[in-house]
Amino acid sequence: MDGRRESSNSIDHGKLTRRDLVKRGSAVALAGGGLAIGAQRGSAASQASRSSIRRRAQVSGTVTFSIWADAVETASWDPIVGAFNEEQPEVEVTVQAVPAESWAGFFDAVSTRIAGGQVPDIIRVATEGQRLFASRGLVEPLDAYIERDQAELQDFFDDVDPNLVEWNRTLSSTDGKTYFLPHGFNTMALWYSAELFEQAGVEAPTDEWTWDQFLAAAEQVTQPGQVFGMHVPAEYFGSVMPWFLTNGASTLSADWTASTVAEPAAIEAATWMRSLVEKGISPQPGGEFDAFATMAQGRLAMFGAGRWPTAAMRELEYIDKVKMVAWPRKVGQGSPVGWDAHPIMQASENKDAAWEFVKFLASKTAQEIEVGQGGPTVPPRRSVAQSPAFLDNTPEGMNKLYEALSYATPIPSPNKGNVIEQDVIDTFNQILAGNREPEEALTELDQKIQANL
Amino acid sequence: MGTTPAAQPRVGDLTDRLKPRGGASPLSRRETIAAYLFLSPAILLFVIFIAGPLLGAIALSLFQWDLLTPAKFVGLQNFERLPRDATARSAVVNTFVFTFWSVVLHIGLGLVLALGVSRGMPAVLRYFLRTAFFFPLLVSWAAVALIWAYILDPNFGFITYYLRDVGLPAPIFLIDPDWAMPAIIAVDLWRTIGFTFIILLAGLQGIPSHLYEAAAVDGAGAFRRFWNITIPMLSPTLFFATVITFIGAFQIFEPMFIMTRGGPGDSTLSIVMHIYETGFRAFEMGYASALALIVFLVIMIVTLIQLALSRYWVFHE
Repeated sequence: MDGRRESSNSIDHGKLTRRDLVKRGSAVALAGGGLAIGAQRGSAASQASRSSIRRRAQVSGTVTFSIWADAVETASWDPIVGAFNEEQPEVEVTVQAVPAESWAGFFDAVSTRIAGGQVPDIIRVATEGQRLFASRGLVEPLDAYIERDQAELQDFFDDVDPNLVEWNRTLSSTDGKTYFLPHGFNTMALWYSAELFEQAGVEAPTDEWTWDQFLAAAEQVTQPGQVFGMHVPAEYFGSVMPWFLTNGASTLSADWTASTVAEPAAIEAATWMRSLVEKGISPQPGGEFDAFATMAQGRLAMFGAGRWPTAAMRELEYIDKVKMVAWPRKVGQGSPVGWDAHPIMQASENKDAAWEFVKFLASKTAQEIEVGQGGPTVPPRRSVAQSPAFLDNTPEGMNKLYEALSYATPIPSPNKGNVIEQDVIDTFNQILAGNREPEEALTELDQKIQANL
Repeated sequence: MGTTPAAQPRVGDLTDRLKPRGGASPLSRRETIAAYLFLSPAILLFVIFIAGPLLGAIALSLFQWDLLTPAKFVGLQNFERLPRDATARSAVVNTFVFTFWSVVLHIGLGLVLALGVSRGMPAVLRYFLRTAFFFPLLVSWAAVALIWAYILDPNFGFITYYLRDVGLPAPIFLIDPDWAMPAIIAVDLWRTIGFTFIILLAGLQGIPSHLYEAAAVDGAGAFRRFWNITIPMLSPTLFFATVITFIGAFQIFEPMFIMTRGGPGDSTLSIVMHIYETGFRAFEMGYASALALIVFLVIMIVTLIQLALSRYWVFHE
């Protein structure tokens, strides 16, 4: 039930700060500089890049691509591989689905395979693992490839939100080299049952909602023992971060070196979350509550999620009865963001072929096919995220997820991120259950997190 | 002229003559080879799956290995780290608590159930009860843990429902630090009681009934019969059940892993789960091997203690 996407939200105070300008400015400068270098390299380079667009250098070899998926999802990759083989018929791509219950479990399984000598060429890694993989010297720097194929990739970088490009550049590696091209991401939105709100005669949520307006509506729509107003679980990306960020708080500082989980804004957010459980608006934590099915049964009015409930909601035939709005704000808008990437492994023996596949995955063709399959992430290309392929048969407001990139904060992903995440979940289970007071629990969590940084 | 002991014929003399000194006869050599051949599958499996990995673990405990980069020899560093590992200490304490209650409850309840079922009752009912008590053992731990997670769910689980119905406070079992371990002990009891039950039942049925009859004739009451006949005659079985239950309980992993992940905090972290997390989450295989060796030693020492004590209470006919 937990979204696979993890993302972090930047704290947005509703206006362009100097930091934003620097971020966007440097992204533009990077692109501009890249172009300039490309132009300066002389006719040979420009000829090569032109011909590389028109007639892609043919490579060959076998490429293994490991993803966190089950057997059903593996089948959905056939059209993508097929389209790739139209451009590169000599490359054999094997998509290796690795089932797991979490990103941590996926990393374990892949690491075990690597230890056993089965090194995949490309792995799909989420934000949480990107820095970890890069810091262990397991992945190949892409700078040379990107520079060589600059012209080809320009279309990609132009089509992706500059925030995402910048975060990927600064946060996913520890040595300034580029190891990843950003791929599908998730941000958080508020999913609500329009049907339930209508039946209860309560005004539907809006993008401008504040916490107080949210509370008022939730109280009206909740029927004790029958209908829950909102699902407030002890989940890091899907629950703690959006409430924290909309109150101007976060678990870690912006550079992920210090814990900020015991600051007043964070304690206030945690107290708020507990109050929702106490009032019976949210179900109790620590159980097997299935938000999607419960909403389709008409017994849950709202839950928080990104793109990932889409497949389930389609199956439950509830898509046209749900809608999405931005998360209610207190200090400002906020959403975590996390994105996938496709690093090429250092130990790969087919790096050129792997790079061709990675580039293909960044192309519009591949992303259109991928969203057509109903995947759990939002494509990084704006053109695809706004296309019918992505928006058809989805709740009204699905476009809000891409818009959230303008105010999102990357989900903190230091090296021991999975340990920290577990500590956060444990602590919030106790807070939401009422076993511990927020201030005391968060002070203790603060020390635990700091010890793991 | 008395006969010397050596002059008296013994059974052994005859077989001695069949076995020439200094070596085996072709017949017995063939028998020996046949015996080893029959044993070889078991020996092979033992070497490949038990002895080999054990030696590997001993070797690995002297290295530092993160699965992804080559192993590095560090000597006894992993063992020096052990006393400082507070999480390992918690895990060992949790495991001993779990094991103590597990053994006590399994033997106690197993005995009660076995006594109940071995009484005179319709054969159909007895057959049904035997199957019913044993059945959960055949269900995979994953399924059992999932089912119980739903039963104990705070929003729609029926235990919570009935507790509230009766007016009792219903804790959220799996995230309450005071209730998580008792919940795991209870679920484990539900699943594995069948094992001790069947063993003790077989032991009970092996007690000759003439002993009870003789005791009844002598005027012994139910309690005296239980204490002076049942318990001593059952003691080898009780001893076996206790040793096996301890060995199994000390290595408990699945219910914690599936239901609580060692949480809340570290209150349900078992030592085997800590080994798993150290090896596969923190990528410290060498240290995990050292921990595993400690578990092996603890189990061996406790079993040896139990063997030594068995002289005093296990009655062998």
